[in-house]
This record gives sequence, C-alpha cells and structure tokens, in this order.
Amino acid sequence: MKLVEKLKYISISSRISILLGVIILLTMGTFSIFSLVKQKQDSIDVISNNSEQLSQTIEKILRLSMLKNRRDEVSTAINNIVGKEGIISVRILNHQGTIKFSSRLSEVNTHISQTNQLCTNCHYQKNDKLVYTLKNFESYRINNKNNFIYNCVPIRNEPSCYNHVCHSVPDNSTNLKLNANTAKSLNQNLATFSHDSTQTVLGFIEVEVSIQKVIANLTKTRNKLITLTIILAIIASIITYFSMRYLVGKPVKNLVNGTMRVARGDFKNEIIPGKAEFRLLAESFNKMQTQLLTSQSQLIESEKLAFVGKLSDEIASQINNPLTGIIIFSEAILKSSNLSEDKNEINLILQQALKIRENIKNILSLTRYNKPVFRNVKLDKVLLRAVSVVEKFSSFRNIKIITGIPKTLPDISADAGLLEQVFLNLLVLSSDLMSSRGLLNISAATYNNTVEISFTDTGKVISKEILQKIFDFSDTKNYEDYEKEGISLAVCRDIIEMHKGNINVLSKDTGNSIIIKLPIKGNEPES
Amino acid sequence: MSRKVKILAIDKEEIILKSIRKALAGNNELQYDIITCNTAIESLKIIRSDTFDLVLIDLVLPGMNGIEVIRRIKNINPSLAIIIMTGFSKNKINSDTESEEDPLSEILKSAAGILFKPFTIQEIRNMISKVIHN
Repeated sequence: MKLVEKLKYISISSRISILLGVIILLTMGTFSIFSLVKQKQDSIDVISNNSEQLSQTIEKILRLSMLKNRRDEVSTAINNIVGKEGIISVRILNHQGTIKFSSRLSEVNTHISQTNQLCTNCHYQKNDKLVYTLKNFESYRINNKNNFIYNCVPIRNEPSCYNHVCHSVPDNSTNLKLNANTAKSLNQNLATFSHDSTQTVLGFIEVEVSIQKVIANLTKTRNKLITLTIILAIIASIITYFSMRYLVGKPVKNLVNGTMRVARGDFKNEIIPGKAEFRLLAESFNKMQTQLLTSQSQLIESEKLAFVGKLSDEIASQINNPLTGIIIFSEAILKSSNLSEDKNEINLILQQALKIRENIKNILSLTRYNKPVFRNVKLDKVLLRAVSVVEKFSSFRNIKIITGIPKTLPDISADAGLLEQVFLNLLVLSSDLMSSRGLLNISAATYNNTVEISFTDTGKVISKEILQKIFDFSDTKNYEDYEKEGISLAVCRDIIEMHKGNINVLSKDTGNSIIIKLPIKGNEPES
Repeated sequence: MSRKVKILAIDKEEIILKSIRKALAGNNELQYDIITCNTAIESLKIIRSDTFDLVLIDLVLPGMNGIEVIRRIKNINPSLAIIIMTGFSKNKINSDTESEEDPLSEILKSAAGILFKPFTIQEIRNMISKVIHN
C-alpha cells in the first residue's frame, strides 16, 4: 500500500525531470530518426549513382570485347570485376532476356521472365506477348532488401556495332559482310549475334552492388546516436532532478510541512526562507503564522477570561448568599448581646465576613473580560483599586509602593474593569522587573490632551530587546494569591490601544519605567 | 406613628429571607411587615392577592427569569417599588447594561434601587428608607 501511495504522489522535481527526459528523448529521437533516414537515403543515392556510372563504365569496357566477339575476354573481365568495390555480380543479357554472360556461371543461358522489370520497363503484356511502349529505356535500380542494388544499363545498338564485320546480317541483302574465317572461328549460331540497324537495344548489363557495408555503418551510427540520446536524456533528467529538488522541492516541502503543522495547530516553528519567490513566500507564511499565533493566544486569553469570569460570578453569587447570613446575624447578635467577650468574638466573625465580601468584590471586578464598555472613568480610583489588590501579593512584600496620583486627574472614557486588569498586570510586571524588591513609584500627570501614568521601579536595567519581547510574546502570567489567571501583556497592550492610548517601557540606570498614555475624555484621536 | 411598611421579599435562599427579617426587625422608627417567598410563581400569586409598598427580589429565581418576574410585577402594580438584590459585582451589572435594548438595563432603570449581596444591616435599612421616602 505504501508504494502505491508513494507512486500516486510524485514530487515536482521528479515530474519536471521526467518531463525533461521525455522531451529530450522525443526531440532528439525525432531529429535522429529524420537525419538517419536522410543520411541512409543520401548514401544509397550516392552508391546508386556510383554504381550506375560503374555499370556504364563496365559497358564501355566490355563493348570492345563484345564487338570483337571475344567471349572469353568478356567472361574474364566480368569475373575480374566482381569482388572489387563491393560488386557482387555482373551479367549481360540479350534483348530476348537470355543471360549470355554472368559472374554466376549457373545463370548462363537461362531466361528471365517477361514480368521482370527489365522487360516491363519498356514493354507491357498483351495476350502473352510483349508490346513495345515506345518508351526510352531508362536505367533502373532495384534496392534489394537493403543488401544490394541492381543497376541495369542498356547496350545500345550503334553504328560501330551493326556495321562491324562480325555483327551485321543482312535480312535479304546481298551484302555478305561476314568473313568466312571469322564465322568459322566463332563456332556459334550466327543468328544469336545478329544486330541489324533496326534494333535499338541489343542487350543489358546488370551490375549488382552490395550496400551491406554502408547499411551496417549506418546502423552502427544509428545505434550510437540512440544510445547517446538515451544517456543524454538520463543525465539531463538526473541533473534536473537534483537541481529541482534543491531549488524547488525542498522549499516547497518546507512550506508544505509548515502548512501541515499549522493545520495541526502548531504555529510556533518558522520555516527557513528559500530563494527568490520562495523567500517571499516563506516570509509571508511566517508572518501569517505569527499572526495566527497571536490571534490564537488572544482568543484563548479572552476565552479563558470569559470562562473564568463566568465561573467567578457563579462562585461569588453562591458565596454571597451565605455570607449575607453570616454578616446580618453577627451584626444582630452584636446589637442584642451584652456579654463583651461574646461580642468581641462575634465581632471577629463579622470582620472576617466583611473581609471576604471585600475580596470577592475585588476579585470579581478584576477577572471579568467581556466586551469593553466605555464610560466615564476616574483613573485615580481605578489605579488605587489595582494597587490595593497587589499590595497583598507575596511578590510585593518587599516592595514599597509610593503613589503620587492627583485627585484632579481628568476623567477618561474607558472600561474601568479592563483598565484595572491592565494596571494589575503592569504592576506585577514591574515587580518582576525589579525582582520583587525596591521602590515602586506610581504617578500620574496630565500633558496636553493625554494622561500619563507611570510605574517607575528601582530595578536593574533591562535591555530593549527583552522589553520589546515582553510585550510581543509573553505568556499568561501567573498570579499567586488568586485564580492563577491573568492576561498576557500583549492583551494589555491591545486594551490600551483600544482606548486609543499606548504603553511604553523605558529602562534607565535608576530603574525601569512603564508608561501608559491615555487620551482625555473628549480628546480621543479619530480612529 | 406611621403605618407598617409592607414588604415582600423574594429569594430562593432561605438564609437571605431570614437575614432580611433579622435586619429589619426591632426598629423603633419604622415597622416592617415582611412577607417572604421562594419562587417567582408564588410571588406573583401573593402580589395579586395582597398590596405591598415594596418588593425585594433577587434576579436569580427558580422557574422564571428574574427580569421576567419584575416585568410581570410591574404589570400587576406599576407603582410598586422594586429593589433588586443580586450577588453579582457592580461591574458585571455595569457591563450588562450597555445597550438600551438589553432587558436587564431596562429593569435596572425602572428599579427603585439595587442592593448588592452581601449587605450589612445598615445597608439594607438605608436602602429601604431611601426608597420609602421617595
């Protein structure tokens, strides 16, 4: 199954390199085939022409011997010619189709059929007779199974032939040219050698030339070319494959893995930028991932808080009812009882109950995170409330808080609950930055149209990079003393920005400062 | 000597009802006649059959939405002063009353007062005095 699955998915690199290989094979293959075919054709043409010339040359050479009727000379010449230059056989036929001379001795005095091309060149069959078509004999060739070429050259009747002493026989003429001596020495039937002037073609010389060598060479060349093409295709494919893998396959795989990771919910790992377009792709992918991560954290945060808020409300309302009973009845006993001892103890109970009431109120107001509702808010009250909560934290045990918040601070339009959460978080951040000991100065002032709140501590200098990171990527802070929930600093920054303000962190020799700027009510910059 | 102020207290927790009784008992200035009940349906029955000066009602009641009960009470007797009791924090109330169409904000606007649990004897007495004198 695995193999089938793998086959179904063929990587880009493989596809492209296979495609390249196929293209090379097809183009070079087609080119090779065409050129080889042409080459073969050309070679055969050359050989044919040469063999035709050869045939004509042989005819000229033998003419004299035939003229003088020196049959031995003809036979010897024929036998000598054969075997050289790839000449396989030579034969001489007369016009009637009888083979008179041949390098193949067994052929001599045999006939060729009337359907032989030799005859049909000029004649056609009609009622078992060959009729002359008035065509001029053309030398022809036959290509026999790529092994040899036949070349056929006519022996034309010329004046030198039919005027020659031995070879002219008068039909009814008294002109006896034949020499008695010559006739005797010939010892042959005269009729077979008669060539009167009416005959145009006396016979034919056929030369058979072998082209096996040429064909074999061409085949060798063809095979070499094929092999070369295949090797070239393979090499090109391999080179392409590995190049593609490096240039395209790997970056694509990284991206694919990245997207699969994101699909699984893992936004944390950046992908390495590749080259050219892939670099841009990777960068925007990484950016997108960061965005997702941030949104996801924010979503989780707000969901957590909404849930915690709901939970807190539930718990609170369940605590508040019994608490009412405790408070009311303690107070009632205090009123009616006269025993001072009892009164003291009852009072203790009452005080604890009232404390619980106060704590619940504080906790409730801090953990709610619903849609922000903008109202007139007195910042000093919100700040002081936040301070009153963190004062009790163990991390603040060794921190002295000094508040310099004027009561004349102008109102701002804000969501008091959210602001309180922000202040709480920033106070805890301050305590972290100053390693939970030292002096924390909380002050507020009005500049132009903004209120500036600063939390200045006496902690060690923190580098700018770390400060930047704190607001960009910090996780949820743990709050000892209650709920173990809080909001991340990124969310704090979002809340402040929602209020059209901003948060900055400065670091000096004397300590760190967290500065929050918020616009005064009525002076918010347009969104 | 003014007549007794008739108060109906509606809450699902018995301890709240007992606490209200205790808190309002034995006052020289004002005498309170306190009727209590646990459920919305019961309360509506009582209101139909009796006259009251004041209703103390919790928003979380079994069977019916507290807001719905208040609306019905207003239907029966529009002039009846209603004080809402709730264990939710001030902030939650504030946040829920953001829109005009929100029924909670409607009711809160028409309520004579809001009493946050837990309350002290003084707080509930002050609230009731304030409402009576309006």
